[in-house]
Amino acid sequence: MFSRLLPRAAPRSALQAQQQSLRYVRASPTTSSLFHAQQRGYATPSEEKDLVIIGGGVAGYVAAIKAGQEGLKVACIEKRGALGGTCLNVGCIPSKSLLNNSHLYHQILHDTKNRGIEVGDVKLNLAQMMKAKETSVSGLTKGIEFLFKKNNVEYIKGTGAFEDEHTIKVNLVDGGETSVRGKNILIATGSESTPFPGLEIDEKKVITSTGAIALTEVPKKMTVIGGGIIGLEMASVWSRLGSEVTVVEFLGQIGGPGMDNEVAKQSQKLLSKQGMKFKLNTKVVSGDASGEGVKLEVEAAKGGKAETIESDVVLVAIGRRPYTKGLNLESIGLETDTRGRLVIDSEYRTKLPHIRVVGDCTFGPMLAHKAEEEAVAAVEFITKGFGHVNYGAIPSVMYTHPEVAWVGANEQELKEQGVNYKVGSFPFSANSRAKTNLDSDGMVKFLADAETDRILGVHIIGPNAGEMIAEGTLALEYGASTEDIGRTCHAHPTLAEAFKEAAMNTYGKAVHY
Amino acid sequence: MASLANTARLSARLASRNVARCAPARSFRMSARERAAQNFTMPALSPTMTEGNIAAWRVKEGDAYSAGDVLLEIETDKATMDVEAQDDGVMFKVLVQDGSKGVKVGERIAVIAEEGDDLSSLELPADNSGAKSATQEKRMEAVEQKERSSSQEKSLSPEESKKSTPSSASQGGKAQKQTKPLYPSVEHLLHANGLTKDDADAIPASGPKGRLLKGDVLAYLGQISKDAPANATARLNKLSHLDLSNIQIAKPTPAPEAAKAAATAQPELPQETEFAVPISLAAVIATQKRIQDSLGIFLPLSTFIARASELANEDLPIGKSQKPTADDLFNSVLGLDTVARSSRGQYVPEITGLGPVSYSRPSNKKADIIDLLAPKQKKAAPIVSAESVGISSGDNVLSVMAKSGDEARATEYLERMKLALEKEPGRLVI
Repeated sequence: MFSRLLPRAAPRSALQAQQQSLRYVRASPTTSSLFHAQQRGYATPSEEKDLVIIGGGVAGYVAAIKAGQEGLKVACIEKRGALGGTCLNVGCIPSKSLLNNSHLYHQILHDTKNRGIEVGDVKLNLAQMMKAKETSVSGLTKGIEFLFKKNNVEYIKGTGAFEDEHTIKVNLVDGGETSVRGKNILIATGSESTPFPGLEIDEKKVITSTGAIALTEVPKKMTVIGGGIIGLEMASVWSRLGSEVTVVEFLGQIGGPGMDNEVAKQSQKLLSKQGMKFKLNTKVVSGDASGEGVKLEVEAAKGGKAETIESDVVLVAIGRRPYTKGLNLESIGLETDTRGRLVIDSEYRTKLPHIRVVGDCTFGPMLAHKAEEEAVAAVEFITKGFGHVNYGAIPSVMYTHPEVAWVGANEQELKEQGVNYKVGSFPFSANSRAKTNLDSDGMVKFLADAETDRILGVHIIGPNAGEMIAEGTLALEYGASTEDIGRTCHAHPTLAEAFKEAAMNTYGKAVHY
Repeated sequence: MASLANTARLSARLASRNVARCAPARSFRMSARERAAQNFTMPALSPTMTEGNIAAWRVKEGDAYSAGDVLLEIETDKATMDVEAQDDGVMFKVLVQDGSKGVKVGERIAVIAEEGDDLSSLELPADNSGAKSATQEKRMEAVEQKERSSSQEKSLSPEESKKSTPSSASQGGKAQKQTKPLYPSVEHLLHANGLTKDDADAIPASGPKGRLLKGDVLAYLGQISKDAPANATARLNKLSHLDLSNIQIAKPTPAPEAAKAAATAQPELPQETEFAVPISLAAVIATQKRIQDSLGIFLPLSTFIARASELANEDLPIGKSQKPTADDLFNSVLGLDTVARSSRGQYVPEITGLGPVSYSRPSNKKADIIDLLAPKQKKAAPIVSAESVGISSGDNVLSVMAKSGDEARATEYLERMKLALEKEPGRLVI
């Protein structure tokens, strides 16, 4: 906020300083801050709201709309100047635009010829690709603004901070200040990329996912620190567009902790085929971005062989951490845990029961759809006294090609817990639709309770896995057995038939394999 | 049982379907054809509807209508709905008029005739709606009784009771009436083992919201261990909640300490260096003289310097110490705001003349007096008094203090100052 005001205030304060005396080397801070005070208009506090939401990301805006629909008087504070938060502006949505379009480009370059489509000179217009992305994003964010109006949500553009337990002071984006009182307050401030110690993020050479969706040229060499979902998606985009990408991962498998081992291995194999390089069990010791490019010193995670990786751009994708900076939580005594997550109870309440927290800034997986579910549940707790999110049935999707999606437990977790389970899988290479699409890498894998046949987890790697996982989530939500899926009619020829056949292969035998 | 389900399903369908059932269709009864005029009864528009209000008749007595025409509007507690004709026909007599409230479902509300019937010769048929509803009720009773007896039979069967009691205790789930459609696997298992849907109600259900799962039936049949379904449910239930155990609350103490450390460290950080550039004020003095000669206005040197400084401070390259914030970067990615690559500087120059001459007082005083004489420059006067110490007509040293990291910024500023003051100082004031 202050950084926004400063450039505007500077010219005059500089002059003032000059007029006072040339001996003062710098303008004294008092003059510039005085100047601010003059410029600020103190708006009169408006009436008390039923619900004030801090953060207009996925959790915040969904809660705001839901509360508006329930007839609450609601205000939503967002400092970005655009609704939708990380997901819509610099996360899920723009990255999907780039993933889709870069895939198309890659396919025209390498694949369409085999299908009988010969395209002449293929050229990449990165600026246009970015523009297409921006069009998608701006359309969606404007859409939310429209929904706010439709559902009578007051949209306050500014940075909120607690003044007291019920009052939020907002430093407005357009200058000035206001405050808003709420009977209930919902904190939904989300998360930010965890920085890598020793490497300063400039979003040009050393980038996070935010910079990775906005590079102005395709880097020749790119190194990705962290082989999780975000890292692999962005690695895919730039690798398809022509970068030489190396992924450095500390753990022994890609895809993060939730991905099934077998699926992760297969995914790594397929991504390697596309040209990505992987360095697993490798840790980055230090980085140096002072030169032309960026140098990373890496060594084997268990100690040993050290080497230097040089690249033009380094993407830091080692995770995200809760973002609660500037909320002035200390003044009202709200607690965070050692990882910065706001402490809540099972109804999302903090120590002060009228303040609730949902989304990335509290516990649970940092996923937009999880935040959305929580937002609805939190509003329902306020309006109806009951809300529910089934944390056992939250799907995860990685939008590489082929896509990877899963819901429920993975095999290594079941092994570790000593659960008696059975496995059934079906490869897309035996699926008619995948065959006709010439896109038959991957498989569907079911994990079910050995005795009751109840589905414990579904793991898909393959074309359209992200869409197909919805069926698995529904099955898990309803406590279905693999036989229930096997006995449900699936259209022919579809990729979803592989889903059915994998289920059949779990409780009995697949027909086509 | 099946017929009951059937009834419920049918009544849930659209109003038009209900009309077909409630208003006896001609084709259903042979007698209707002979009688020619038929009773039209109050339709049930939803499964729970027992009575409704007649908002308005859309056809008058004697009007002909064709299939699909709206005959009347009915108001219920939920909504107002149109009732459409199933067949072509003629409205013979409206018996319950517009605005009637609380008309029971099945009560006769009108008499309809076939197209081409001579209305004047027709007779009103007998009102059998009451009788009909009575038979319906009887039928329902019969169905319920059958159900009861069948469940009694089951509970009496010693084999079954032996099976169900222990399992209900161990599975944790209660046996309950399965009102939702059974899962395909469950239905298959029931059929394969000769169990009926009524049996399903007696099986303890461990699924979400009391749903009967495959595992429950398998346990009931003794094919798997009795505890298996309950164990699976318990495991999944645990996963369905956010794990809020073992929260390690961050100690608030380290934060202030770190802040303090940062606070103590900070003042030491900005190490300032002086940057200097030799500058000749000859051009400025010449211009000053020219202006005085031609316009008769005396402009003090400080005006030139202040204006040059103002210009030079514009859009200076950003120093290394001034990092764009995460917000700036985020906004620039969104295209909301570009990250400033330059910003306005706040440098104020210090001018020292070269050589001992520059410290001479007279020049200072001289400037002071002239300054006072020039009324418009009063504000600038103190600057000169403080600053003009040592300004010589020849070479001077222009210097500024800059933090480490801001070297490029300061140098750029000084170069601009030199350019402005040495090349075309006239443009600064005109």
